[in-house]
Amino acid sequence: MNSNKVLDAKGLACPMPIVKTKKAIGEIESGEVLEVHTTDKGAKNDLTAWAKSSGHEMLKDTEENGVLKFWIKKG
Amino acid sequence: MATKVAIIASNGGLFDAYKVFNIATASATTDAEVAIFFTFEGLNLIHKEAYQQLPMPVGKEHFAEGFKNANVPSIPELVGMAQQMGVKIIACQMTMDVMNLKKEDFIDGIDVGGAVTFLDFAKDANITLTF
Repeated sequence: MNSNKVLDAKGLACPMPIVKTKKAIGEIESGEVLEVHTTDKGAKNDLTAWAKSSGHEMLKDTEENGVLKFWIKKG
Repeated sequence: MATKVAIIASNGGLFDAYKVFNIATASATTDAEVAIFFTFEGLNLIHKEAYQQLPMPVGKEHFAEGFKNANVPSIPELVGMAQQMGVKIIACQMTMDVMNLKKEDFIDGIDVGGAVTFLDFAKDANITLTF
């Protein structure tokens, strides 16, 4: 899946993946896609809830070898 | 209207600090308006020196390694991020008087106020938390 920006938040603990995601999404335009990589297992629920409450759209998520990837479309 | 989150921090240990600042920074990432009222031992969490080495609960010191392994940010880092994201910090004037503490003893960028200052913010808050 294509993205306009990739954020590497691997190795960071809560709440840092969300804090970094919030910052990164501020750097792209509405309608563009942010790709987030993290190893925080809580991020799946957290990022989904964050996207919902912040007006963004979680397009897709995957998990491979302990790395969770998310594609979030900026609202 | 943005969600408002009102937090009271009244305990001064390391675990208390993480509870308070994790929720505060997480709230701020959702564009919520956040204010924390620091009272009694809670003042440790924003005290220039104290907040750099907050105590673990007695008998739980072994968790220090867990914090390191989990790559959890330090409290000063978390506080800095919270402030950057607009979290409002209010130190309790009455406790400061009792403990003979001055505004200069605390980190920069804080407000000093009484209970009513906090209550005025909290009266229409969507979420109110006490730690």
